[in-house]
Amino acid sequence: MVSLFGVNFHEAKLVQKALQHFYALGPQTATRIMAKHYIHPRAKIGTLSPKTVIALTAELSGMVIESDARNIIQDNIKRLRDMGTYRGRRHAMNLPVRGQRTRNQNMTAIKLNRVERQG
Amino acid sequence: MSATNCLRCLGRPSVAGASRGVVVPVFAPRTAPFSTTAIQNALPAKGKSGEHQDRSVRVYRAGRKMTFKKKHTGDRGKPPAPGERKAFRKKIVLSNDNALPVPWVTEMEASSLSNENKVGTIVSLPPAVQDQLRATEAFQPTQTWGLFRKPSTLIRKETVELVGKMEKATANKQTARVVLTGEKISGKSTMLIQAQSYAYLNNWIVIHFPDAQELTNGSTEYAPVPNTENPTLYMQQNYCLKLLQSIKKANEKILAKLLTVSNHSELPQNIPVNQTLLSLINAAKEAEGAWSVFQALWSELNAHGANRPPILLSMDNLPHIMKISEYRSASFDKIHSHDLSLVKLFTEALSGNTRFPSGGAVIAATNRNNGPRIPSMELALKQRLAEQRASQEETVPVRDPYFKGYDDRVEKVLKSVEVMEVNRIGKREARSLMEYWAASGLLRTTVDEQTVSEKWTLGGGGVLGEMERAALLTMKI
Repeated sequence: MVSLFGVNFHEAKLVQKALQHFYALGPQTATRIMAKHYIHPRAKIGTLSPKTVIALTAELSGMVIESDARNIIQDNIKRLRDMGTYRGRRHAMNLPVRGQRTRNQNMTAIKLNRVERQG
Repeated sequence: MSATNCLRCLGRPSVAGASRGVVVPVFAPRTAPFSTTAIQNALPAKGKSGEHQDRSVRVYRAGRKMTFKKKHTGDRGKPPAPGERKAFRKKIVLSNDNALPVPWVTEMEASSLSNENKVGTIVSLPPAVQDQLRATEAFQPTQTWGLFRKPSTLIRKETVELVGKMEKATANKQTARVVLTGEKISGKSTMLIQAQSYAYLNNWIVIHFPDAQELTNGSTEYAPVPNTENPTLYMQQNYCLKLLQSIKKANEKILAKLLTVSNHSELPQNIPVNQTLLSLINAAKEAEGAWSVFQALWSELNAHGANRPPILLSMDNLPHIMKISEYRSASFDKIHSHDLSLVKLFTEALSGNTRFPSGGAVIAATNRNNGPRIPSMELALKQRLAEQRASQEETVPVRDPYFKGYDDRVEKVLKSVEVMEVNRIGKREARSLMEYWAASGLLRTTVDEQTVSEKWTLGGGGVLGEMERAALLTMKI
């Protein structure tokens, strides 16, 4: 197991996938981080040297990811809610925010839209 | 009066029926007695739910979370261990004990491949050369070595031509720079094997890159070479180590005789003058210092006045090193393949900038199956071919002025190479090949003019791989 930014990953995990595991870190950012540290696209996390793993952890700790990124989204929703906007209300009711119909097919909104949004 | 058993149960009488003197069937086994299904595939026995796993699927339907149970698919057995699948895919089988030995096939000798009288004969590879070719990964799993008793090759017209070029170049201490091109499965990689066999039998040093794609598709570790700027070069240490080991295994005997002419104190292990080149290669034990060891070895092999043997530098799947690689620099720019140091070493030799002290050859083979389309390379090869023919009717093709995808660096590398087309074999060669197949017990027809013509035509007019497909692989089990 390799510990990267406090999370343990299996050695056979691709570095790209391991980086994308973090919230608010997508394929673009992951590729850029890897290029910065000369990690080839198909590298597995087990093959990285301890020095590179530490450098990656340092890199990640300076970025807005995971709970920081979630807080930003939650703050934005909370602001809408506090202002009493329509979008804020729809978030609070777990309903679609952008004018979609609610007769059928609104499960994604019901799952995700809430003031304390998780994902 | 209603029956004690319902109609559906008549086939299997109840216990009540048994008490009335009806023959009771033997206790039903877990699987039906007539079934040919393996027990492993049969449905699991009901009742015991101790091993029951949760295979349910949760979906949202009409606003409610619903759970469906998935059908139990049975035990799938142990998955293959990591690397096992790849090892199976890359497995090279070189002999088949069930095939008949062919009496007239002789073993390849140092001079057989350059002998024009031998065109159209089949020669087998000596065991020592087989080991060397295995070490450089020259054999490919798609080739049909595994069908015959001994690995043997057909000496083609092109083989003699290529080997003749190698011979002529070394006689003048020059380097033959050849690109093999031609149709799909027309035998370009096999020509590389033949060129290598010639080199091994004549005590050359062989450095072979089995698949150029491994260098550029972003699958090996890379790092910038220190103190290189404009352009920054990148070394691939892991690949380098693998290459060094294959060089060592394939050329062990010769390397043990050659001695170093300069001191290499920059290596992980200090190598003074008059050490064998084998000990120089042995200095690379880890990927860490592999590139510097490779550089030292290359400079030693190219040392002038040290009486070095000729060098064969060969590469399969050339188009892969003529494109932008999958690697990226720290500033997220794409790295051109020619900025990878190992590729650069090859392209420098191919373009003629590196001169081997005792001559030698640089041979590259293009590939059609999974090769990328490189317009510049295709154009350059067409230009060289037209120049070689030097006929009045044919003009040398020029760049399309409305197309942007050309690459100057590629054209520069291929500016002065010789291009050899490996195309179709003639009917005479086809006949001797088919006689060999028949004598091996793999082609079960009489080989006469008609069958040769038939298979030759079915094989796209003498494309060797297609002929194999038409005649041999139809019965592959």
